[in-house]
Amino acid sequence: MNTPQPPRWAKTLLRWLHPENTLEEVEGDLDELYADAFERFGRSKALVRYLLNVLSVLPPFVRRRRSKRKYEPSFSLSPDMLKNYFKIAWRNIVRQKAYSILNIAGLSIGMACSILILLWVQNELSYDRFHARSGQLFRLTCSAGDFKTAVSAAGMARGLQSQLPQIKRSVRISKLNAMLFEVGEKKVEETRVFYADSNFLEVFSFPLLEGNAATALKDPGAILITEETAKKYYGTSNAVGKTIRVNNNENFTIAGILANSPANSHLQFDVIIPMKTMAKWNSDLQTDTWNNFNFYTYLELDAKTAESVSAQQRLSQQIAKLFKSRGQDIQLDFTLQLLTDIHLHSNLQIDLPGHGNIQYVNIFLVVAIFILVVACINFMNLATARSERRAKEVGLRKVVGANRYQLVFQFLGESLIFSFLSLVIAIGIVYMLLPIFKMLTEKTLTIHLLDGKLLISLIGIAILTGLLSGSYPALFLSGFAPVKVLKGKLRVAGGNLLFRNALVVTQFVVAIVLLVGTAVVYKQLDFIKKRNLGFDKSNLIYLPMNGELAGKQQALKASLTQNPLTENFTVISGLPTNHETGTIDVVWDGQTAKNQVVFPSFDVDENFLKVFKAQVLAGRGFDKAFSGDSANYMINEKAMQIMGMNIGNAVGKRLTFGETKGTIIGVVKDFHFKSLQYAMEPLVLRLNKWGGLVMVRTTAGNNEQTIKALEKINQKLNPAFPFTFGFLDKDLDNLYRNEQHMGSIFNLFAGLAIFISCLGLYGLSAFMAEQRTKEIGVRKVLGATVAGVVGLLSQDFLKLIIIAIVIASPIAWYAMNKWLQGFAYQTTLDWWVIALAAILATGIALFTISFQSIKAALMNPVKSLRSE
Amino acid sequence: MRRTYLGEFEELVLLMIAILDGRAYGVTVSQEIEQQTGRVVTFGAVHNTLIRLEEKGFVTSELGGATTERGGRRKRLFKVTTLGKNALADIQQLRNKLWTLMPDDTLKLSGL
Repeated sequence: MNTPQPPRWAKTLLRWLHPENTLEEVEGDLDELYADAFERFGRSKALVRYLLNVLSVLPPFVRRRRSKRKYEPSFSLSPDMLKNYFKIAWRNIVRQKAYSILNIAGLSIGMACSILILLWVQNELSYDRFHARSGQLFRLTCSAGDFKTAVSAAGMARGLQSQLPQIKRSVRISKLNAMLFEVGEKKVEETRVFYADSNFLEVFSFPLLEGNAATALKDPGAILITEETAKKYYGTSNAVGKTIRVNNNENFTIAGILANSPANSHLQFDVIIPMKTMAKWNSDLQTDTWNNFNFYTYLELDAKTAESVSAQQRLSQQIAKLFKSRGQDIQLDFTLQLLTDIHLHSNLQIDLPGHGNIQYVNIFLVVAIFILVVACINFMNLATARSERRAKEVGLRKVVGANRYQLVFQFLGESLIFSFLSLVIAIGIVYMLLPIFKMLTEKTLTIHLLDGKLLISLIGIAILTGLLSGSYPALFLSGFAPVKVLKGKLRVAGGNLLFRNALVVTQFVVAIVLLVGTAVVYKQLDFIKKRNLGFDKSNLIYLPMNGELAGKQQALKASLTQNPLTENFTVISGLPTNHETGTIDVVWDGQTAKNQVVFPSFDVDENFLKVFKAQVLAGRGFDKAFSGDSANYMINEKAMQIMGMNIGNAVGKRLTFGETKGTIIGVVKDFHFKSLQYAMEPLVLRLNKWGGLVMVRTTAGNNEQTIKALEKINQKLNPAFPFTFGFLDKDLDNLYRNEQHMGSIFNLFAGLAIFISCLGLYGLSAFMAEQRTKEIGVRKVLGATVAGVVGLLSQDFLKLIIIAIVIASPIAWYAMNKWLQGFAYQTTLDWWVIALAAILATGIALFTISFQSIKAALMNPVKSLRSE
Repeated sequence: MRRTYLGEFEELVLLMIAILDGRAYGVTVSQEIEQQTGRVVTFGAVHNTLIRLEEKGFVTSELGGATTERGGRRKRLFKVTTLGKNALADIQQLRNKLWTLMPDDTLKLSGL
């Protein structure tokens, strides 16, 4: 029997508009209902019902059945997939042990370097930030032309505060003093001692462990010592109220115990004495002078001024105006130096010792990033080179339905596993290397793993490294076409090779730049050490005139003369290391305008020229035979030039230095009396009438005996004070400590960068040798020599290294020139330095490759060709 | 226990599926409703409700085998799940409880 059929157009409409996944059943049901209705009610009613029914299952009335696929694609984060990823990653690590070790070693060493550098940088940047109002504290500094100093005058702090409402508080600190401290039998000369105003502890946030912070620095007979110092003298930190004898003539009561000065503070102290004590004898303080620049002045500004640079500039102009209104006719500029800038951004003279340099911080940050990048490049290189091994896995995964994102996710995950594994090892390395690194940098660096910030940055480094190093392999591997991969031959694309080569070149550029850097830093240090200072610095021992020695100068001189070991001596006012005093109050014959150049002065006795072996260009030195020499001056060449004189006419000209009128009796050849970072400055030599220190010239090999002789003299004349002495050449070397640290750190990291690069190169050459096993076999059969094969394998890498040298040379040249500009006296940047670095890099690279290339070349061709 | 919400028509359709016991599909459900209640409903209403009931988990469905009937098109057969049975039982129980609570004269007043 023929079932009645509904009209075709209605069916077409249904097929066209009804959701596809339910069309079959709905169409069947509707047909059935139509047939049923047709039988029961006849054609027309059945048709009406049918059309209504069709309409009711068309959009928008119809509800769509949610499509349920037969096979759910596995969600890439589902536990099963994660388990699989981990399993495969682990199998890969274990199966290719050498490769994994190379990778993890490179990454972990790179990370360890970066962590160490970051610790150092963090330490450098943390200076003076622990003060509660560190953003509002400024140091008043002044400069006369190029002569920039950190000091200001004693009267300025209070004077400025009373007239300028922007200044909320002010505190003065004296320069560092060396003093003899005595408790019972214990006698020590402390060098980290200064005087400070009574509000010192209010302005700065140095915690006082015991005693009353509000009153501790008010009483002139009181003294504050640090916990460590207290333990040294009393064996306990509970020392408040005890007495301590200073300089063998005055007793102080300990009013409080300070916490040890934090390592990241530019103010380093063991003892603080109230300024009132100093005011008892210091004329600067008694007269509130605006003339003598001997104190460090710190100002606390109100929040508004502290925030705006222009307000600070206005303030410093106001200060200059006030300074001028006090009848000062010298042209001085004042600047407000932010407390937190003092450590890294300060290049002032007469400053507290131990400053860092922002340039080094930046350089090392760049180096840290470079090393990490080199390590990441290793990873990328090895991963892409080995991609063939995993090509089949990628193909298979794709065939069973993995999409590209899943694969990218998988490979990124794998590199993250590598990077986190490396991080753990890196932290171990950091713990191991920290003592050495501390020694190199002379810093107290600590690593607190539980510190949230550090932990976050470490994890950040690991994630960054993982993503960076995994990105290229992930994108590259996941892009394989499954058909090609599974068919067998996968030709490594040229683009990939080019990319890998570019990575190797980058690595070696970094390595060569670092090598050149190391070489130049050492060359400059050597240059400074060997530079002729204008006097003979060897075998000079000095004895500061402490305590009673200052008053017994005649007796001291007599005893020194008696001993042939010490008879060659001179009494000078200070060491020619970082000379600190100077004045612009200089008037000379033929002067046209008021002097604006700072003339440092140096007080020497008649023996100075002989002991220091300094050269006289014209006139004579001080001499006992001339009675009027106490008003006479010697000047150096530079001073002569500034005064517009020449060797022919300088001697005999009149010169007024400070208040004293005199005559120039001689011109001495320029000798250095400051760090070589500063250019030669003019110098006036005066006859020493007050003392300072005794400098003894010994002969080589007699140093120890001389020291013993000096000690004996000290014991006899100055029994209350312990014997102290120093070698001038050592002090001179210490001036370049910062540079020496930088040199050794640079050296360390350059070495590591090269090592990491070589790890990568080793892996890469192993891979290349492996790939070309058959080619080498055929070549050997045809008569190639071992040397020829080694050459063949090295050739490719050699090309890359040459490209790297070409790129690195100008970069290194530019960077090191920039660094050298910081020195007034620079070594030359010779081409051979770069050539040497290039040859060294090439040599190391070829040596690394040689392991694999020689192994490959020596292989028996029978073995490599047998399987064909 | 959280009461599952079942609309009036949903309940009706669910009951029909239970009555049809394995023979329930779009046509039989529509016909049964018409037969038992006298209501003529569009096929779309039944179709949508079936899908909704399945989404709610009261019924499951699967396509029956291909037959020579209706041009070889397969039927989608529906079955009540345990959840569906429980839901129906719950409703029944609630109704019974409410009926027993009703005072006798209320019924008489309703004129039944």
